[in-house]
Amino acid sequence: MSEVVLRAVEAAFELEPTAPGDRYFDYCLEPYRPRRPPRGKLRSENLLWKSLEVAGQLEAMAPPLRALQAALGRDMVVFGVKHDGARLWWELYVYDPRKEDPRATVAGLREILAPWLRIAPAVHERAPYMMVSFDLDADVLARGSVEELNLYLTGTDEHMGRSYRVRAEGAELTNTYRFLSPKREIDTVLGLLKSSLFVDYADPRTLPEVLIPELFACKKVCVAKKRDKDGVYYSGIDVDQLRWFLERFDYPAALRAFADACAARFDHLYFDVGLDVRQDESGAIVHPKTSFYGTL
Amino acid sequence: MQSYKGRFEPTRFEDLTVTVDFHCHSACRFCIVQEGMNLFRGVPFEKFKRAVDDNGRAPRYRRVTFTGGEITLEKSLFDYLRYAREHGGFEHIRLQTNGRLLADMGYAKRLVDEGIDEFFVSLHGPDPETQDYISQREGSFDEAWRGLENLRSLGVTLMTNTVLTTLNVDVLSEIVERVSALSPARMEFWNYLPMEDFDDERGLLVPMAELGPALRAALDRAAHHGIPCAVKYVPRCLLGEHGDCMDNTQPDVVIAEDFYDVYPKFACLWEAKCEHSEACLGLTHPYIHKLGWEAELLTPTPRTRPWEEPEDGLAYGSDDPHGPERGPAHHPEWLALVDGVAEPLGARLVEVLLDRRRCTYRFAVGPEARVDLVLTRRTDDRPALTRTRSFDVSYRNLHLPDGDTAAREVLAKVIEHAARAVTERDRGAMLLDERKGLIGPEALRRHPRKNPRAKVGS
Repeated sequence: MSEVVLRAVEAAFELEPTAPGDRYFDYCLEPYRPRRPPRGKLRSENLLWKSLEVAGQLEAMAPPLRALQAALGRDMVVFGVKHDGARLWWELYVYDPRKEDPRATVAGLREILAPWLRIAPAVHERAPYMMVSFDLDADVLARGSVEELNLYLTGTDEHMGRSYRVRAEGAELTNTYRFLSPKREIDTVLGLLKSSLFVDYADPRTLPEVLIPELFACKKVCVAKKRDKDGVYYSGIDVDQLRWFLERFDYPAALRAFADACAARFDHLYFDVGLDVRQDESGAIVHPKTSFYGTL
Repeated sequence: MQSYKGRFEPTRFEDLTVTVDFHCHSACRFCIVQEGMNLFRGVPFEKFKRAVDDNGRAPRYRRVTFTGGEITLEKSLFDYLRYAREHGGFEHIRLQTNGRLLADMGYAKRLVDEGIDEFFVSLHGPDPETQDYISQREGSFDEAWRGLENLRSLGVTLMTNTVLTTLNVDVLSEIVERVSALSPARMEFWNYLPMEDFDDERGLLVPMAELGPALRAALDRAAHHGIPCAVKYVPRCLLGEHGDCMDNTQPDVVIAEDFYDVYPKFACLWEAKCEHSEACLGLTHPYIHKLGWEAELLTPTPRTRPWEEPEDGLAYGSDDPHGPERGPAHHPEWLALVDGVAEPLGARLVEVLLDRRRCTYRFAVGPEARVDLVLTRRTDDRPALTRTRSFDVSYRNLHLPDGDTAAREVLAKVIEHAARAVTERDRGAMLLDERKGLIGPEALRRHPRKNPRAKVGS
């Protein structure tokens, strides 16, 4: 390996290789068959660790994340790495749509994370949520308290849902979303996108900034309607598309270099990415937040 | 499964194209490999010999095409030609050229004498004013035209190629009229591909609303003169009654693998709705970013069959997967691996589809039931029905009419018997290669340009 490549692979953590018992899930925790034989490859969690390292948060955040992984099982926690063009932060997602694992609940999280984080919002466990998530960054960790949870409820079918932001003082609807096959259901995709208060699609150059051709070759898209913006998520992209995404949305150079240097060892995986989108006062499309996902 | 429209790979495996070098004495304003000139080296002679020898032993390519850069500048061209002629077993040898040096009749005749029987000559304008402006070389049109006339007098197969840009979209019909005097065997029109200038800073991409009518008019003129045409990288729905001219197949190219990584990729919103989406590429990503998805302009032909996300590029080397069965006439060595298996079981072998990475045998029972037996390079670490000396053997694309259990049983037996036959007949000397470009990093110069967008296929 060249010196440049070696520097890119250098990490403050030990790379996590694939193991025979690994499972492969998308960000909805739906299983998929690896694109290549996984032997000798890397787990997607390495991208999480690298992002933490790049942000200077590896040492502080590794213990609670390792605790989650140990308690819930490898590959059973979805991580999202979020980026607003300037800073990174993280979101962790725990699924239990059938209420099978008492630890994959708000109560379970409260217990697992207790040494590091207090979960402030109270949630009635009879609430029919199928997934709970929370943001994690240096402030949250320093405060030692998670002030907000996101609860996800399925809609009339599993391909659509709603999420609520839950704080100590109450809950509010923040997001409705729907999963679609990008090509088979293109009419619905376009209809949902164009039904927007935040993006005017009259200019034909606008749509490609939302329905992005480089990501269109994916397994699923998710169109989300949020309080002050729209969101589009692309599920089931390959590592080359992920690398394109990281560059297009200006993720930190060290993280991009890591993905580039390890691309051949991530080529067995599918990834998921998302972007929030709205127009600013000048009519230009802005992406207030983007994110990519893997499993821990 | 991802669509082939995210990728761009060789699909036509009866043609082998060899990039001998990347030098050129023109400087076409649309050149897609201007930077590639500095990045890609030509194919080393030893590598070329290996490909030719392989074809001599087990023919799979009917034609070899030499290209560049400008191939006629390459002094060693005649070494390549001679070796291909004497060892490759090719039916045709083609030269892809700007035609300028062919203005010298002596040189043109020497090329013909060395075995080139097909010439594919670039002509981007109908007159010196247009072509010389595009090529940035005064006199280039006159040279190319004299070259074309020389070739015509030599009686070889003559084809022209026109790259479609904003620089010539207004004169396409005039090009046809001019070329018709030469009675070419075919005219090809390749829409400009932004391979390095992803943002189209050169302003070469023609809006489809403009390109469609201009191209249809040119195709009308060609049809009037009885000239067959081929069109690449233009959505079929824009070709009107000339839809059959669409030909997005690509020859197998002996070139650095990285070449395909910097090729533009394609997409179409209507892929799942359009009858022609297995062969039509849609629009390039750079076009979509600059000019939009053309959701209104592109009109899918309603599908008559369910759409399936294609797994591996265009339909296995055929741009007309729904055309008549071609029969397994080619690739006799590969045919021999399963010859005689299907018929005793009441099935038939419809096609042998060979590319560098796999050999696919398509078996059928009745009009609808079919299955593919697929050979890939033996790896030992991926799922396979069985492994032979050279291959992993698997099957896929099982299509059965509802409830046709009899056909299912026959096809199951065909797969079983065919796999057994391949195991018995494979002596370990037949090669499949999983790379796209045949040539590895040795074909790249030491200091390639830095354009990470291009590396991941902008």
